Amino acid sequence: MTEQEKIQYFNKINRQFHLIGKAMTIIAIAAMISFSVFAAILYNVWPSLKGFLAGFANVAVIYYPVAIAEFLIFAPMLGTGGSYLAFLTGNLTNLKIPCAMNARDIAKVEAGTPENEIISTLSISASAITTMLIIFAGVLLLSPLRHILAEPVLAPAFDNVVAALFGALGLKYFIKQPKIAIVPLVLLTLLCILVPSMISQTSILIIPAGLIALGIGYVLFKKEKIKG
Amino acid sequence: MYLDQVNSFALYLVVGIILFFILCMCTVFMVKSYRAGIAIGMDKKLLKRSITSSITFTAVPSISILLGVIALSGSLGIPLSWLRLSVIGALQYELNVAEIAATAIGYSGINDIKMGIQSFSTISLVMTTGILGGPLCCMFFLKKYLKKVQKTPKPDGTNKPSYSTVAVTAMFIGLCSAYISSYIGTAAVHQDFIPLFTAFFAAVAMAIFEYFTVVKKQAWLDNFSVATSMLLAMAAAVIISGVIK
Repeated sequence: MTEQEKIQYFNKINRQFHLIGKAMTIIAIAAMISFSVFAAILYNVWPSLKGFLAGFANVAVIYYPVAIAEFLIFAPMLGTGGSYLAFLTGNLTNLKIPCAMNARDIAKVEAGTPENEIISTLSISASAITTMLIIFAGVLLLSPLRHILAEPVLAPAFDNVVAALFGALGLKYFIKQPKIAIVPLVLLTLLCILVPSMISQTSILIIPAGLIALGIGYVLFKKEKIKG
Repeated sequence: MYLDQVNSFALYLVVGIILFFILCMCTVFMVKSYRAGIAIGMDKKLLKRSITSSITFTAVPSISILLGVIALSGSLGIPLSWLRLSVIGALQYELNVAEIAATAIGYSGINDIKMGIQSFSTISLVMTTGILGGPLCCMFFLKKYLKKVQKTPKPDGTNKPSYSTVAVTAMFIGLCSAYISSYIGTAAVHQDFIPLFTAFFAAVAMAIFEYFTVVKKQAWLDNFSVATSMLLAMAAAVIISGVIK
């Protein structure tokens, strides 16, 4: 297959991904909303409209801007199929993005290429299926498993699973481009120390951190201090 | 009474059907992209390796997500917690949003004993609609946005070094910086050193893996590096917590 044929073929696949992705998203959203409606019908008690509007306003004001920022930052990394799957199956920053990046690193494919999109989609679908099956098995075994996993002695392990994840990945990426890493790390650390309420707001912290790193990366790339 | 209602078989069934649909869709994407990879000449071994490394990478964090299901199930029941954390939700999001929704409708929190089935359906609706930003952006803007930001590679192979590779690494550095900074902040402000210690230990373990994969050319270790580093760091967190106590 020539490069031209490869691109044409991949564009055709991408059109299919958009079609399937949109249909999947519409059905999944309808199905998830139907869960609440079904519970209401089952017990003949409807959600409180006033309560819903108040709750939605409080949640949306925080999480919709975060969702838009995540979409703008992560969609180019994930490509078409990966984006539809990752944004629908959730656990984005703590699992799907690191997982896709890890697969991309192992496969040594370049961002923005068809190969990268294929690896991202494979990685995210494998990750989503694994999570669903593990949780399904856990739900089946919930009673005995609850006792083992909820042992107080194991609590620190599971309380710090995200710290373990970002410690490992941080090392991997920081040594790749240390010149980009220093400034966001120092500035965000100062922010967390000076404004302690930000410590628990990592979903908000990733926005300035991502923008600073992107900006520094762009300047260093233009000055040819780092390679693409 | 309330917990019996939110753990009813009918709700399990609804969740099972929804998750089965999404599982099928993930499989469709996986098969299609695998076939596309082969069609454009990618190595089958590489494609399979991407799948297996993603499975091993996901296994440990999935157990922590399962613990999130257990944590939520006490107040919201197993079916809703199972649904939320299997798809669309996130560990950090669910408890936070359930709490915001519960307080917005007048309770002290999701563990408020007065919570009834109406509150449950209201909270579940808030949790669902509050997190739809990402999927909605994909539905309405993904095609146009990707067309704008992703350049098609030139067929003659004369592509200049691209900023996109740097950008992806930079975005990821930003993501990691946000988390690591919050752990340093937690240590400095709250004197809680465990998250920072865990991250540090994971980084040391990862550095050892990097040494063997990069310097000693043991590329196969890459498949296990993150998951093993995490497990070692989590074990270290248990030990150090025990020592501190």
